[in-house]
Amino acid sequence: MMYLLYIDPGSGSYLVQVIIAAVLGLLFYFKNTWLWIKSFFTKPPSKTEEETIDDKP
Amino acid sequence: MTNLNRHPASFRDPSGFIYEKDGTVFRFISETYSPHFQKFISSGLYTELVKKNYLLPFEVVNENHTGQSDWLTTLLPLQIPFLNYAWEWSFEQLKDAALTTLAICKSSLDKGMILKDATHFNIQFVNGKPLLIDTLSFELYEEGSQWIAYRQFCECFLNPLLLAKYCKMEAHKLLLAYPDGVPSSLTSQWLPLSSKLNVSVLLHVHIHAKVGTKKNNNKDVREKPFSKKNLLNILQNLEDCILKLKPHAAVTNWNNYYAETILSNEYLTEKKQIVTSWLKTIPYKSVLDLGANDGEFSMLCAKEAFVVAADFDSSCISNLYTKLKTKKLSNITPLVLDVIYPSPSIGWLNKEHPSFFSRKNFDLCLALALIHHLVISKNITLDMLATFFAERCNFLLIEFVPKTDPKIIEMLHWRKDIFQSYTLENFETTFSVHFTIQQKTIVTNSLRTLYLLQKKA
Repeated sequence: MMYLLYIDPGSGSYLVQVIIAAVLGLLFYFKNTWLWIKSFFTKPPSKTEEETIDDKP
Repeated sequence: MTNLNRHPASFRDPSGFIYEKDGTVFRFISETYSPHFQKFISSGLYTELVKKNYLLPFEVVNENHTGQSDWLTTLLPLQIPFLNYAWEWSFEQLKDAALTTLAICKSSLDKGMILKDATHFNIQFVNGKPLLIDTLSFELYEEGSQWIAYRQFCECFLNPLLLAKYCKMEAHKLLLAYPDGVPSSLTSQWLPLSSKLNVSVLLHVHIHAKVGTKKNNNKDVREKPFSKKNLLNILQNLEDCILKLKPHAAVTNWNNYYAETILSNEYLTEKKQIVTSWLKTIPYKSVLDLGANDGEFSMLCAKEAFVVAADFDSSCISNLYTKLKTKKLSNITPLVLDVIYPSPSIGWLNKEHPSFFSRKNFDLCLALALIHHLVISKNITLDMLATFFAERCNFLLIEFVPKTDPKIIEMLHWRKDIFQSYTLENFETTFSVHFTIQQKTIVTNSLRTLYLLQKKA
């Protein structure tokens, strides 16, 4: 890993990325679930919503 | 290296460096960078980024100017007309630079590559757009790895933008004080408690500061597989957070100068007519507009020349940048500059990033409604100003505002008038040491005089 020659990535920043990814994963999951439920009660979903549902983890 | 000047800021990355040969900037690429460079070209990433206007384009030159044995190839990048740094960018410019960096990182991941660094030093505003200039920033993406430049991105872009929004700080000033980025630990302390209600800020700043400062030698964390989806989620969240950021609504004396001051529309229209007609009489390819405000006069020059529009008020520059973007006027580079405290030369041996005025001389300088502020508020004398302009430009379009002008009366209201030498006669005598007067006219319905001066041979 040649980049380590001149960048100090800070090991703490690795840990924080793991934490953030976990939180964001959960948030996206809930958001998409909510959009999915909402789609039953609203008019046909817009294109962007369809795309988001497809992204459901 | 004979007759080549290696750029003093190009020493950090062993993959290559930039150098100057006969006034042209080239980039040396080392053999060690070969797999990354091949992928960068063959994956179509280079073409895509240039097409999207995210990257400084280059041509490949098959000539080793340096004589170094580890030579892979030489690149001739598009030459940057005027170097500019984050400590000269307004909020909107830093925000666009951040969004460009994220967009490039996302496109790279699409093509199996990633950005190995994400500092503001890698971005330059060229033709009105923030472009990534560091071709060596791309490396092969290893499935399961994290973003090594994540912390650097947060500290160089996200943190100063958040401090500008929440704490009314000026991002460009923060980046002059912290050129490597504002540490997350400090940002977390400075941001108000309410910022923790924003999930993105809570994660990228507050939790980052808590976890990031702890010494963590746990190799498991580094080696733990990290999916591409996770990486994209982080990039998307950073982008969503930055997109929503707006600068603190600052109303300064200057950002509505022409709209709200005592200066009438007639005055402005006539001044524009005079300037337009004078501009036709002189040759110029580069212009520095000092005290550009909303850029009205910069725009008059932009058809013929490359213009740097500078003002010390960052909200003026933010507005001007947004206006130019809408109008698609790419010939003007708006920058925040305090003439009294211009950007210094900083970095290793004070040579990495040159001071503002050492970067370039201009064919023409505009100093409209400027020097009375420097004389009356900052005690700069007329002969200091005459020398200053003579060292920067061949032509000078300058406005003299007499003491009888309501603006100066207002300025002198609360202070003693120690400016006996500030007279029209003295202005002409002092500037005539360096310049010849080509044109001179009084703007109707005002007490102000416009001059077109040419530097003496």
